[in-house]
Amino acid sequence: MSKRKYTISEHGPRIEAFLKRILQLAGLKLTFELSEEASPHPDFENPEIRVKFSGDDVSELIANKTELLLALEHLTMEMLGMPGEDHSLICFDANDHRMLRIEELRFSAVTAAERVKTTRTPFRFNPMNSRERRILHMALRNEPEVRSESEGFEPRRNVVIYPAGMPSSPRTAAPPVMRRGRRR
Amino acid sequence: MAGMSIKDLVEEIAKALVDIPEEVSVREVQGEQVTVLELRVAPSDLGKVIGKQGRTARSIRTLLGAAGMKLNRRFTLEILE
Repeated sequence: MSKRKYTISEHGPRIEAFLKRILQLAGLKLTFELSEEASPHPDFENPEIRVKFSGDDVSELIANKTELLLALEHLTMEMLGMPGEDHSLICFDANDHRMLRIEELRFSAVTAAERVKTTRTPFRFNPMNSRERRILHMALRNEPEVRSESEGFEPRRNVVIYPAGMPSSPRTAAPPVMRRGRRR
Repeated sequence: MAGMSIKDLVEEIAKALVDIPEEVSVREVQGEQVTVLELRVAPSDLGKVIGKQGRTARSIRTLLGAAGMKLNRRFTLEILE
């Protein structure tokens, strides 16, 4: 095992001070706990620090595909000045939501791969963030009969599963022009 | 009073993200239904509060949305250059 980059003794105080202040100013009734417990799915996600939330407003954290939880996580990592490649080393969770999501993604990957094998047609997932896309790719890495690929542009990038020998479908080479408002 | 804490919230987050916290300022403009929060930072720190693909700014807006729900008020964040 390589040396840990992030530890509670070194980074905990800054994380705690930042989150406490922000939750208080935002009027969110939430408490949190830091832990360094080992991941039950080390192949898929292996954070060095976990931040687990509880309290009356947990439902708000989890609403809209855990939007608020991910926002707090992102701001905390930016506050610490973490480079992008370290972003899997701290994981925010509430009610084991993230953990269950990993299970769900693994199950969807396997189910979709079975379908691709029998129908010989590609399967396209909904757009996901890079951490979730990575879980899908990881779940399929030992499947010789299919291959997976990410297509499209952030924030609408999505995973596609192809039969192993099938070429990727042609896609537009340039990212879509930024427009006001959301398309589709 | 409640509006005050939201202004502080934006200021606190911005100061935690930038290199030059002394140059962070937030102005609150009260509208009938919406409160606009104008955030100014040093030009060199703009990228820090916006983030890649605007993700940091989006995260701040998400937090403002949640805080606003509690106060029954909408908050809009404008990052001024």
